Amino acid sequence: MTSTTLRAITHRLTTTPVDQLPSIASFLATSLSDCAELLSAPQSQKPGKSDSDNAVQIHKLKTRLASLLQDRSVEGRWTAVVLVKATVEAGQWEILRGYEPIVRGLIGILAKPDPISTRKMSIITLTRIFHLTYQYPTLVREITTPHLPGFITAALNLVSTLVKLPSGSSRKPKPNTPFMEIVLHAILELVPRHPTIFRPFGSQLRSLLTEILGASEPVFYPEPVVDVAVQLFASLYKCAPKDKSGSGWTDDSRSTILSVHRATDHVFRAVVEQWESVDGSLVPIKQNYSKEVGDGGSDFLGLPSWRGVHSGANRILTLLRILSEFISMPSASNVALPLGLILDLTSRLTSVIVPANGESANGAQSNPQIGREEREQLWAELPRIHIGAMNLLAHVVSILETSTTPITQSILEQANWVFRNEKFSKDVRHTTYDLLQSLVFVNGPAMAKQSVTSMVNVLRSCCHDLLPVTGDSGSQSKSQSDPKSKSKAGPGTSNADSFLNPNLNARQISIASGSSKIEDSASTLLQAVLLSVPSELLAASVRAEIDRTIILTADKDAMLASVLNPIPAVKGRGAGASLIPFLARTYSDQKEVEALVRPRMPVLMTAPELDAYAENEEEEEADEMVTEEYDAAPAANEFLKVSRVETQKPEPTAAAPSLHKRTYAEESTLQSSGLALASEQQAGQTKKARFEEDISTNAAEPVSGQNQPSSVAKVSVSSATSADAQTSTTTKETPFKAQVSTVSSTSQPAADVSVDDSDDEVPTLNMDPDTDDDEDDDVTMEG
Amino acid sequence: MLSESFVASTLLSAKSPTATLRDVGICVQEFQPSPQLRSTFKKSSTAANGLAVSPTHIFSAQAEKAVVHVYSREKGNQEALVPFPERIRSIAVAGAKYGDVLVLGTEGGRLILWETCTGRQVATTASHLQPVTSLVVDPTSNFILSGSPDATVHVWSLPGILSFSKPALGQNRQPSNAPIRTFSNHRAAITALAIGHSNGRHNIAVSTAKDNTAIVWEYQTGRVLRTFLLPSSATCVALDPVDRAGYVGYEDGSVQSIDFYRAHTVQHALHDVSTQSTPAQVSLEDRWLPPAADSGSARAISLSYDGTILLSAHDSGKVLSWNIARRKFATTVADYTHPVTNLVSLPPSGLQQTTKESKRTIHTIVKPRHDNAFADPSHAPGSVPADYVFNTHIITPSQSRTAKPSLFTEALTHASFPDSMLDDGLAELAALRTSGGSDVARVVPVTPSTSNSVEDASARDNHVTELEAEVSMLKKKAAVNDTARHATSNEVVQLRSDLAALQDYINELHEKQEAAQRDKVLRQARKEERETKKREAWLAAEKKGRNGDVVMKKIDVDDGALTSDSDDLSDE
Repeated sequence: MTSTTLRAITHRLTTTPVDQLPSIASFLATSLSDCAELLSAPQSQKPGKSDSDNAVQIHKLKTRLASLLQDRSVEGRWTAVVLVKATVEAGQWEILRGYEPIVRGLIGILAKPDPISTRKMSIITLTRIFHLTYQYPTLVREITTPHLPGFITAALNLVSTLVKLPSGSSRKPKPNTPFMEIVLHAILELVPRHPTIFRPFGSQLRSLLTEILGASEPVFYPEPVVDVAVQLFASLYKCAPKDKSGSGWTDDSRSTILSVHRATDHVFRAVVEQWESVDGSLVPIKQNYSKEVGDGGSDFLGLPSWRGVHSGANRILTLLRILSEFISMPSASNVALPLGLILDLTSRLTSVIVPANGESANGAQSNPQIGREEREQLWAELPRIHIGAMNLLAHVVSILETSTTPITQSILEQANWVFRNEKFSKDVRHTTYDLLQSLVFVNGPAMAKQSVTSMVNVLRSCCHDLLPVTGDSGSQSKSQSDPKSKSKAGPGTSNADSFLNPNLNARQISIASGSSKIEDSASTLLQAVLLSVPSELLAASVRAEIDRTIILTADKDAMLASVLNPIPAVKGRGAGASLIPFLARTYSDQKEVEALVRPRMPVLMTAPELDAYAENEEEEEADEMVTEEYDAAPAANEFLKVSRVETQKPEPTAAAPSLHKRTYAEESTLQSSGLALASEQQAGQTKKARFEEDISTNAAEPVSGQNQPSSVAKVSVSSATSADAQTSTTTKETPFKAQVSTVSSTSQPAADVSVDDSDDEVPTLNMDPDTDDDEDDDVTMEG
Repeated sequence: MLSESFVASTLLSAKSPTATLRDVGICVQEFQPSPQLRSTFKKSSTAANGLAVSPTHIFSAQAEKAVVHVYSREKGNQEALVPFPERIRSIAVAGAKYGDVLVLGTEGGRLILWETCTGRQVATTASHLQPVTSLVVDPTSNFILSGSPDATVHVWSLPGILSFSKPALGQNRQPSNAPIRTFSNHRAAITALAIGHSNGRHNIAVSTAKDNTAIVWEYQTGRVLRTFLLPSSATCVALDPVDRAGYVGYEDGSVQSIDFYRAHTVQHALHDVSTQSTPAQVSLEDRWLPPAADSGSARAISLSYDGTILLSAHDSGKVLSWNIARRKFATTVADYTHPVTNLVSLPPSGLQQTTKESKRTIHTIVKPRHDNAFADPSHAPGSVPADYVFNTHIITPSQSRTAKPSLFTEALTHASFPDSMLDDGLAELAALRTSGGSDVARVVPVTPSTSNSVEDASARDNHVTELEAEVSMLKKKAAVNDTARHATSNEVVQLRSDLAALQDYINELHEKQEAAQRDKVLRQARKEERETKKREAWLAAEKKGRNGDVVMKKIDVDDGALTSDSDDLSDE
């Protein structure tokens, strides 16, 4: 079958007019890769007749391709390049053998003024051919050794011009060449495989790359080009002369670190650094404070001079990226990662941070010899530099994995230090989340209490980033971070449009946010913390905020993590709650949830959660009853039981955490509903409930009788928004439940009498309007 | 092809083995699919718990000596011989995938941690009152469990011991290199430790002691889950890959499985509160007996990757395999003559995932540095010293790079070229073709002489096109004339026919006029005739004496009908 395909291909290739070949080239290439078995079959072992026929076809194909490569028309050469790549991929060694003229033809195309795509594809095809020959010494001898230097020269000529100097030849990049990225990619791909052939080009490549990496103002290279250039620069040590190739990596990485220090000396001159190096050999350079900041000479890596704070920051970033590549690219042999020096460098870079408010220098004293403008410019550049430093650390963690253990604490401290003052920058937050996530993954289980506490700020900001910015949730989280901000905000500052059309606002935001990377990072960090960090080390309020966030964002993985590592049961406070109901409701069709909720194999569970599980089932039942519009009495009963305990607790003397929590949640709901005035009344009502039994009995009945569906519905909704389901459900509903409890304890002797029974009572005066409003508001707002 | 092997190490004894096994202290033995000795390492004699295997190296603590031998699995030779200040009684590898940290339990009851990639060495407090005889590291490489004849098991935090910068001391005021928890439920010397396979918080540990008990407990909380009363003192213990059961070996060479599950329960029985306080009796009869009584005490046991085969190492030098499903002895896998003291199962070779995952590898270890190089710099306590370097060979780029493959890398390994690239090329070719010959001319090599002729030709071409334009203009003019002539002749014909039609019309009108004239004349004549008749009639009536007017009227009436008739006729 494949032999007929092959014959059909050669036939079409020879009979179709050359200018129509490009349109069928794609089809022919696909057919060729279907013949891979035939093309790659060793030719010597084919005595049969049909096999010799195949050999003839393959030979015809090869000769036709060779002639097409030399074709006069553009189309012919274009098709030839495409098909050569296809045959090489399909045939591998068998085809490559004897492809020497074709390789020569491809290199020839590079020098011709062919279309850009033809030349680009030739570069890729040649790279692939040299890439494949790497494993076969015979092919290396036949193809690579004679032709690779020619290819390198041709490719470099496409992107640069050769400058002959007495000390040696160097290369200047051509401006605006479309080939820069692809040529650098090709060289990057080939350097590790044929380092000896690249050896003569080492200095040329280095000069070309320093021009690209050190490019300042008028010259600009797009991000992908710089990216490849950085990688290539970090692998140049592989083609260093034989005698020093072993130490090349160490030398290059060390001089990169020294270059960063040197650039930092200049950029940070506006402050007096508190940092002291652990490396005694490092000497700060003398500066001329009267000149604009800048480095006149070329540094240890040979990168050219720069001027201005912005260029200086760019230089530091480029160098940090080179350093990151040094430690993340596959190395030629054993290398010695200079962890001590890297941490020394990052501790220097992160020691200077943006001062908290204005000019009050924080951890860094300002240098009186430098003007305020330059210092403020430096503050503006600092977040970028810190992101670079943290990315470097992230590379270190990713390569060392569990062996990061000795230095995790240092990295954690640096990240937290930067985060404290620079969390206004979205990118700083993003990078910190990523870095901390990798640290928690490595050392979470054995983290000390102090380390966990130091991360609390970051975790809170994670929740803030994950939650939608609009409406109740936003103001709530704000009010938690600083409770006074609400009272300060005057009516004039609020956005009037948001009152007019709140739905529109929400919709716009959901479109704008989409699936941003920072949210992914924040979510993974929360997952890692929930999974790895011992849950008793995390403060209850933080845990509650995290749980609340992941419920609101319906983050399945995080919810799973939370369920697997539940809140530890505290003595005297009943069972710890679990997020299982939310998980089961939202993702009942997912197999992880199924495995967790209805295990086929035994699952692991700690003892206190047994009770918690029972509690949750009851809660689930309550939810179900709401959906069925069932008589709400049992549900009321359950709340009643809990609320009685809560209300009978002497409020002022109650344990600090529970009290704070309750009033907190109450305040926040009320604030969000905009009833700032009502809050005081509301809070008072909770306490007064027991004393005003008669009034509240009368007042409560109509409310609970009429509003039964809505208020119970609200229970479920509010529990959905609450993190610690049990506690905040009771908290939010306090007014309502307080009334119910008084009903049962005074007028109705038995607890199991349903609320509906008391409908017969005549509804009298004093229906508390605040309560009513509040509930309605809540329902509309949260629903 | 999937194959599974284990590493076994022996303790030197008076017996002399066969020639192939002379001097051999450590054997790498394949046992699935067929028993076969893969490689051997010489000059080693290890006591129980004296062998540790990392993906690249084998470490063996020498019995009765304060020396650890390091063998390279890659090169198959002895790489180093590392002396220590104390005898090493137990050894374990931490650092999960790479095994970068070696944990050593010493005669004096302290732990020594040696980072084999940096040469850093950290010692803990001597918290054990007796030598540390058993050591395990948890799957996350965060905790170390150490057992000792002093009947306690200490739990250590690996980051706490290794970290350069220590978090500020908390209330407990304990130095960070002290154990974070002590488990002291055993009443006699700890004989063996095993650790569960979970990365989570509720991972279990099993410890056996000379008091004939095996206790299952959670090392991260210190909670006791279950106590098993064994028929005799266990010498070694191993856990099922899914932690469903534990296996213990005894002095008499028999082994036994301890099922953690009870029948018909979906919950892990270990976490059933009701049974946690009651010890469970493990029956003596349930033991799996060795094939021969002389097999000697079981010194180490280990499970195959899939958890269906139990391997046990015995004093007689034999390694036996047991069928777990049938709960009995299966075969003798190997016989090394010397007592086999350690048994470590290796992950099967040939699984896709195990080879792909590691990002780096270690070729040579760095011996512990005994100089004070890694002491904190005086001016910055807690910071990492400058010459702290990590020796490794990076083999795959880290994850962040591969996250965004460029078009180039995609094209490089594509069967031909990605469609987007081909489409771009086709578009470019099409653009070349439609934009005319100028680009083609640029591609075709052009010499000065031909360019001259091209100029001439173009000049001539210009002339020709001019002439052609003129001709076409003239032709157009002629055509216009022609059509004009045609138009006039047509007009004439039309006019003539019109004229003829008009003539006919005139004739017709004339005829009509004549007819009308004649009609009129006739009517005149008739009228006159009637007039005369009337007059004659009147006259006649008058003559007869009758009223002539009546007659007149009568005649008038007749006439009216008659004239109306005639009028009608004339109208037609």
